[in-house]
Amino acid sequence: MYKLYTFLKYSFVTLWTMFVVAPFLWALSTSFKDFQSVNSKVTYIPWIDYQPSLEGWKVLIKSPAKGGVDIVEPYFNSIFVTCTASIISIILGTLAAYALSRFTFKAGFVRNNDITFFFISQRIMPPIVLSIPFFIFLSTIGLLDSLIGLVVVYIVLLMPIAVWIMVDFFNRVPKELDETALIDGCNPYQAFYKVVLPNSIPGLIVAGMFCIIFGWIDFFFAFILTFTEVQLLPVKVVALNSSVTPWWSLSASALVSVAPLIIVAFIVERYLSKGNLSGALK
Amino acid sequence: MEKIMAKIDLSNISHTYNPNDANPTYALNPFSMTWENGNRYAILGPSGCGKTTMLNIVSGLVKPSGGNILFDDKDVTDLKTESRNIAQVFQFPVIYNTMTVYDNLAFPLKCRNFSKEKIEERVQSVSQTLNLASFLNMPARKLTADQKQLISLGRGLVREDVAAVLMDEPLTVIDPDLKFRLRRSLKEINEQYKTTLVYVTHDQNEAMTFADNIIVMDQGEIVQVGLPKELFEKPKTTFVGYFIGSPAMNLFNSKVSSDYSIEFNNLLINTKTNLSKIKEKEIKFGIRSEFIKIAKDQKENLIDAKVSRVEDFGNFKLITGRVGDFEIKSKVERETSISSENIRLYLPPDKCCVYFKDKLVQ
Repeated sequence: MYKLYTFLKYSFVTLWTMFVVAPFLWALSTSFKDFQSVNSKVTYIPWIDYQPSLEGWKVLIKSPAKGGVDIVEPYFNSIFVTCTASIISIILGTLAAYALSRFTFKAGFVRNNDITFFFISQRIMPPIVLSIPFFIFLSTIGLLDSLIGLVVVYIVLLMPIAVWIMVDFFNRVPKELDETALIDGCNPYQAFYKVVLPNSIPGLIVAGMFCIIFGWIDFFFAFILTFTEVQLLPVKVVALNSSVTPWWSLSASALVSVAPLIIVAFIVERYLSKGNLSGALK
Repeated sequence: MEKIMAKIDLSNISHTYNPNDANPTYALNPFSMTWENGNRYAILGPSGCGKTTMLNIVSGLVKPSGGNILFDDKDVTDLKTESRNIAQVFQFPVIYNTMTVYDNLAFPLKCRNFSKEKIEERVQSVSQTLNLASFLNMPARKLTADQKQLISLGRGLVREDVAAVLMDEPLTVIDPDLKFRLRRSLKEINEQYKTTLVYVTHDQNEAMTFADNIIVMDQGEIVQVGLPKELFEKPKTTFVGYFIGSPAMNLFNSKVSSDYSIEFNNLLINTKTNLSKIKEKEIKFGIRSEFIKIAKDQKENLIDAKVSRVEDFGNFKLITGRVGDFEIKSKVERETSISSENIRLYLPPDKCCVYFKDKLVQ
């Protein structure tokens, strides 16, 4: 019985891994192919089936003037927008979440849970609903097609995630921790940043990770709110496609755009497995 | 360093958690009490009787709906927790996970800007007392639950000038053996540093062994304050009689017969209580099972009971007998042999308590 269970477990994991890894392997091999090896017959093994070429990768860093596509600038744009929006969202979201978790708010029929739901409802709403208001809003204040404008919009998108995760996290931190800090002589602000915040690093990391992922992969708003001045990576990657699909550079750019998320996942996984994040209060 | 410990006055304190309702329910009914400097107090009562609310009011975590708190005659009712110089230990260990044991213990002093040497000296001294000296450099989160609770305690004791150390069932998570040792060291700390200790518990044995003054609470009401002996021998209400002692006090419905005697199951029982002021006849009569003896040559206050159960607890025997519709319990020495089904019990008059409307007649 146990052997059967183990067998099934490992079969399932193997199958699942294949599903996950196969597209990456396909992209990796395609990125080293040229027009000939993609469009003629099916090829698998480099140097035997086809001759690997670096053309797909080289194009990515060449400027358009030299026939390249230059994803370097969109890459750094994406990094800037994602990181800035994530950091601001985490800071504001954490403060909001702490207040929502510790203090009681009353405004008419509105209570703490309603406020929390208001934040989350921003994510439940289909993004298309927000596109026109955002467009008008950004054009009114002159931030259309600019990095700052994108940062503002992304904060709106990411802060609900931060609030949602952190409210849940703070609710699980016993309020006795804050009270102990007060009794030990901290004022409420010191209690927050000396005691509660260091204890909340696991939550902050999870929230930060989600913000980075959702910020990095957003295509919709990056596409609608930018034209010529500023381009973010997802838009640039999609724009590579033309009448003749450049599979090789498309694959290469897909790989480099996924790379940061893979790195983030590895770092967080390392940190989690070290046990630094476990062992709350009891 | 000068010791600035305080006498704590609770003057007319009351608290409700729903002050805006038309009929607020009181978690604490108005009461006044004084905690003298350097004494050990235990607050004893069943769950939900307002013990924790009382502690939180003293430490400032909860602002009372009415009344004033005075530390050494200085009104601190509106003072915030961090300015009150109170230490509080909760039921479950609260530690600063991200710090070492040393930093945990030093935290209250650091927050109050003590000098490095002073902090070092105090932390060393407290860690010696609590057997934490060998863990000082370990991350606090790596310790076991009872060691973590010791840290919580240590953070309370590390300040010498603290007005009082409030403990809210602090030994719940600790092994029975260590519990006993800790209660002793708490007592020693109290004697050595003259720190006022207030200890909330629902365990009467803990309260009795720890405190010199016990405050019994029930449903937001302080029912009795006194020494363990007073609570045991003269419970002020039937609740105290029932709550304190194991087994609970024997309580019987009975009637007033004359000024110093009552009638119970057609038997006349003499008491030392003057009953002339009681208008109605219906009263309750209580006596501890420890005081009921098997009759030898006494002439009065004798009750014939039918033995229904004898339990041997090792150090004593508990006899349960029936008298009419009532059940009576008597604790006797374990060597006593109970020969027959019927026994004659003697109720010493000075140990008989009379309750009118559940309050002790004095």
